[in-house]
Amino acid sequence: MKSFHFVAGFVCVAAVAASTVVADADELRASIDQRIEAAWQVNKVKQAEPATDAEFLRRVFLDLHGVIPSREEAAAFLDDASPDKRSKLIDTLLEHPRFAIHQSDVWDLIYFTRNPPGYDTDKRQGFQNWLREQFENDVPYNEWVKSILRAEGDTVKNGSPMFYVMYKSQPEDATEAITQKFLGIQLQCARCHDHPFEEWKQTDFYGFAGFLSRLQVVDVGTVDKQKAYAIGEMNTGDVLFTGPVTEQKRGQKGEPVKPKFLGGDPLVEPELPEDVKDPRNFPNGKQPPAPHFSRKNALADWITSPDNPYFARAAANRIWAQFMGKGIVHPVDNLSPANPPCHPELLDELSKELVAHKFDLKWLIREIVNSRAYQLSASGDNTEAMPLWFERARYRPLSAEELFESWLLASGYQDAHKASGKEPEDRFNVRGFTWDYMRRFFGRPNDGMGNFQGGMQEHLYLNNGQIHQLISKDKGSLYDYLATSESPMEERVERLFLQVLSRKPDAEETAQFVTHLSAEDDQRNRIHEAIWTLMSCSEFRFNH
Amino acid sequence: MNSNCPINEHLNRRSLLKSSLVTASGASLMNWGGLFSSDAHAAEAGKKNKHCILIWLNGGCSQFETFDMKIGRPTGGLFRDISTNTGESRVCELMPNIAQRMDKLAVIRSMKTSQIDHPGGIYLMHTGYQETAAVRFPEIGAIVAKYCGEKKSDLPNFVKISSNGNAGAGIIGPQYSPFSLDKDGRLPTFSESYLATPIETRRHGLRDFMEERYAKAHKAEPARMHRESYDRARRLQNVRQAFDVDSEWEKYRDRYGNSKLGRRLMTARCLVEAGVSFVEVGQSGYDTHADNFEGHKSLVPTMDIGWAALLDDLSERGLLQDTLVVWMGEIGRTPRINNRSGRDHYVRSWSTALAGAGVKGGIVYGESDKDGIDVKDKPVTEGDFFGTVYTALGINPLEENYAGVRPIPLAPFGHTVVKEILA
Repeated sequence: MKSFHFVAGFVCVAAVAASTVVADADELRASIDQRIEAAWQVNKVKQAEPATDAEFLRRVFLDLHGVIPSREEAAAFLDDASPDKRSKLIDTLLEHPRFAIHQSDVWDLIYFTRNPPGYDTDKRQGFQNWLREQFENDVPYNEWVKSILRAEGDTVKNGSPMFYVMYKSQPEDATEAITQKFLGIQLQCARCHDHPFEEWKQTDFYGFAGFLSRLQVVDVGTVDKQKAYAIGEMNTGDVLFTGPVTEQKRGQKGEPVKPKFLGGDPLVEPELPEDVKDPRNFPNGKQPPAPHFSRKNALADWITSPDNPYFARAAANRIWAQFMGKGIVHPVDNLSPANPPCHPELLDELSKELVAHKFDLKWLIREIVNSRAYQLSASGDNTEAMPLWFERARYRPLSAEELFESWLLASGYQDAHKASGKEPEDRFNVRGFTWDYMRRFFGRPNDGMGNFQGGMQEHLYLNNGQIHQLISKDKGSLYDYLATSESPMEERVERLFLQVLSRKPDAEETAQFVTHLSAEDDQRNRIHEAIWTLMSCSEFRFNH
Repeated sequence: MNSNCPINEHLNRRSLLKSSLVTASGASLMNWGGLFSSDAHAAEAGKKNKHCILIWLNGGCSQFETFDMKIGRPTGGLFRDISTNTGESRVCELMPNIAQRMDKLAVIRSMKTSQIDHPGGIYLMHTGYQETAAVRFPEIGAIVAKYCGEKKSDLPNFVKISSNGNAGAGIIGPQYSPFSLDKDGRLPTFSESYLATPIETRRHGLRDFMEERYAKAHKAEPARMHRESYDRARRLQNVRQAFDVDSEWEKYRDRYGNSKLGRRLMTARCLVEAGVSFVEVGQSGYDTHADNFEGHKSLVPTMDIGWAALLDDLSERGLLQDTLVVWMGEIGRTPRINNRSGRDHYVRSWSTALAGAGVKGGIVYGESDKDGIDVKDKPVTEGDFFGTVYTALGINPLEENYAGVRPIPLAPFGHTVVKEILA
């Protein structure tokens, strides 16, 4: 049962079975569904029902924009009777500025995590803005990754050099991070000893680190009132290798190791001119000069080449995981032979097509979210958060950013703020509200493997914390509407559900909430309770 | 739902563990259903009925002004040594109370660790590992919470009072994250419901309506965890009195020394008694690069009284045999006294101490050379130390958790448990 492979011969059988979506046969989305459905048949898995319009609506907004739909957007979609309204909505969402904002949030966190290791990497607006622009301008994935790895310019104006700043004077740490994040390879075992069950040797690790050992983080002064850094590269210097950790002696000098492409050939370097002499350190305050030959750039070119056997595959798998809950290889940063894909041909196809489409992530995302597999329901008896065969929609906790911005929309805080005529506020800097608490209570909802790890603390916040401050009572807010509207209570409850949960209430829900809100006593608290209930319940906490 | 019933109807965790010890078999525990659902290590329950109190000396307490005096040597400093109740060992005159409890302590005078600065040292001496970008190592408190804690308890299993360290639960998951009290040992921000009980109950009723309906149609695990955590947060309101130690402090104030640290230590005892598996109590100010002797003179006596009172108090209540009291900071201090009468950071040879569960008392383990410059005998690394602490608590230090695909043992591979100090 736990075999991850399935027999390719069954693919054709399944392809005949289901074909309700109008899609060109040569579109990737059709192929995704054929392969996923074939695997259900082979593994005798029963898939969930298709998602309802409301399920799809909330899911696709959160996945593409990182925020729930507004009440108006929800109503418009739910009341639309046209058969192709889902694919039309997807197209609209992909062209909206929020798409770039959300994608840059996602990738920024992949690179820097919630707690980057110092050197001002917690203040990296330059990087974040730069990354957002890459998505706004549909820059191909391999191109912007190349910019990260070439790290030209400074961290404020250009942004991209910030990635290396994290690994200041730590070529070994940079090696671990780059192989994991861009290639899906877990090389860290080989730092201290040859990998116990994979092909990687310690010399592979230090061969990779050799590309990075000449880098220096240079403080280039203040740019636009922010501290800026650049990445300098020396002309000389090699990483030193001292053998397995257990055999190391105190004071032992290592052997220099030349750069070597992972699983490939040593780097061929041009001869250095004779009189080259590096400074001990690049002087602060100015952009360091380029080296005669850049090992770092050679590495960047190799990593992002369409011929790199790991790069496109790792990217396709990551994108798949972002929308389908887990990778075809899970976890996404371990594309090891010892950790085989559950749908090997599908992953092959996604990778190949991503290269053929010139690393256009938006194209790949469009195909995935248009698939039937993405548009399955989240209900059912299956208890897994991320079902093995993608037979039911996954559960994903909202990130701190998603939760906060969705709360603002749900409570009508933003409507009220607009109505007040006040200056718009910064994204996470809202009056009387401490963004730091959000990071602390909701910053890490996963264990790194996609498993939800929400504990007691987040509920202390939900029950007693600043979420209550977002439930604005000002004119234009949801509270204000519920308190002052003359409409029948049934109608008000419908708007409450639509605005917070992006769906209409069913009869029982309507009855319960109408009763709750119609009681004569304690009106103020009752309205607040009703809004809070929907903003803090499981249905809101997850994207499902 | 559990959360609707008053606290006295809940299973008292201590009595539960006692009764399960008597039966000492998996079969009788079956009735308790999920109580030992934690991978059903029911048979090992007896071994894990342990608690731990960590006294954290932030900044790095000097070994020369506590347990490793170098009388008459140039590195020795200003204080005299005094005799102890074991007759053999001698300690600093700043610790007259601990001197009379040396029969309960296992002092390690040969710590040899790898991180000489505060952030690195604090991380190291909370996790047993050096910080890396690749793995989020869990703190000792999270590990004890996971392996000794009772999941169904209304109380959090890992409590910190005015201490340091920010590694948290790392890879083993936020359900084992520290629950930090404020510096006086009172409940922190957002832990108190601001609603009157009838209103809170009404609000809960409406939320429960939504949750139950959702649960019926959606069986996925994350939603279940979310419901259970909500329940725990609500149940914390049931045990709020466990954190209210004002009246107890009236009674014990003198005994623990009338100090903030004393109160924190007494709070730790109260929480352990209530069933919390790990409490960390911090005392700050030991980073005495200048005026080392003045500094220690003002800090050590307070700590001496509080620590001694804690040992007595636990012992009188029959709790010491199940509670390991760990005494340490992140680093030691230099043998050389600098030109500001200070001592700087030092990790080539320094001291820690253990008492209670799983350790022998009256032991001084390891030795530094005549000037305290290096370990002369039986060095104990951070790995050895954590391996020993976990073993004393009945936790296998080679138990693994995963960072992605990489297995991470609780104490680093290659450590050696210091068997000589284990009971």
